[in-house]
Amino acid sequence: MDAASDPQAAYRAYGPALVRKAERILRSREDATDVVHALFVDLIPKWNRDVDLPYLYRAITNRCLNVVRDRGTRARLLEREQASAAPVGRVRLEDQVVGVGLIAALAERLDEGHLQVLVCRFVDDMTQEEIAEHLGLSRKTIGKRLDRIRDEVIALRGTEAAS
Amino acid sequence: MSALACIGEPISWLRLEQFATTRADAAVASHVEACPACRHCLEEITSDVVALPPLAVPAAKPRRAWWTWAVPAMALAAAAIVLLVVGRRGSENTREEVVVVKGVGEVVLGVVRERGGVIREDVRSFAPGDRWKVVVTCPPAASASVDVAVSEVGGGSAADHPLVPATIACGNRIVIPGAFVITGARRNRICATVTSPGGDRGTACVTIAPE
Repeated sequence: MDAASDPQAAYRAYGPALVRKAERILRSREDATDVVHALFVDLIPKWNRDVDLPYLYRAITNRCLNVVRDRGTRARLLEREQASAAPVGRVRLEDQVVGVGLIAALAERLDEGHLQVLVCRFVDDMTQEEIAEHLGLSRKTIGKRLDRIRDEVIALRGTEAAS
Repeated sequence: MSALACIGEPISWLRLEQFATTRADAAVASHVEACPACRHCLEEITSDVVALPPLAVPAAKPRRAWWTWAVPAMALAAAAIVLLVVGRRGSENTREEVVVVKGVGEVVLGVVRERGGVIREDVRSFAPGDRWKVVVTCPPAASASVDVAVSEVGGGSAADHPLVPATIACGNRIVIPGAFVITGARRNRICATVTSPGGDRGTACVTIAPE
């Protein structure tokens, strides 16, 4: 059976990969599992055979960004992030491993499109070509968004240093 | 934060996840063979065990012929029109699951029951072992904190607070984190006290009965 032919099969096949991805953003296995479960519950009534792992990756990114934006949940995640094990940082943003704190701070300054690129590049470790294909955008747009992200991180550091 | 340097351009987690399943990508295989950082990531994937909660499929409602619902629906609609005409006074919404909170807007409380893997949103009865979740609908631009209390009808003033009070960004059927079970043989009232960022509050309730 094709993994995406029905929600239960896709949940079993892709669920673990999606939990790992959500956990890299949220730094909490419990919250990651909740996010993935909720996504599939919502997808059941509108399931179609075009659902594949890249599609679900994008959906999980959006769900996790919503969780981080929620101020109440964010405070709890930031607490947990301090206590969680340090992740492997293969792709760093201005010498930082991107976690809840940085995503939350950038969420105040960047729109949804930039945040998606941020997660693709610095959490999912995708190349610019992969991001362009994954999000259906041009390589040039991805490059511009990455430049803007770096500018905002530098500005953020300036603000933090001044305060 | 720990860092492992890749020997070139790191293989993305998405490609590693796909490779872990199929082992079909030769470029990934050769890179992982040579790169300790990406090999470490692949090993994280292959050694990880994820305990997924069961995915409960909502109970499908049986399809009925159109006339089996159309006739009663028209009768109900006629009755509703009569009631509206007769009782035009008191046009405010008096349903107990709906409350209007200043600074938030109209808040609608709902409950979801999970029984044996089957999720129902349209029931108000419980049996031992049922799990309940609370959902709230409010205007998308607002945020609110929600505190859920459960008490037995006629059981005195003691109320349980089975869920951690949550601050939510409003929207359609926002799920309050956590779930709870209800025991006993009495009817229970599940109430959500909704507080706006400005401190205004209101309470919406639903009542559920034992089977």
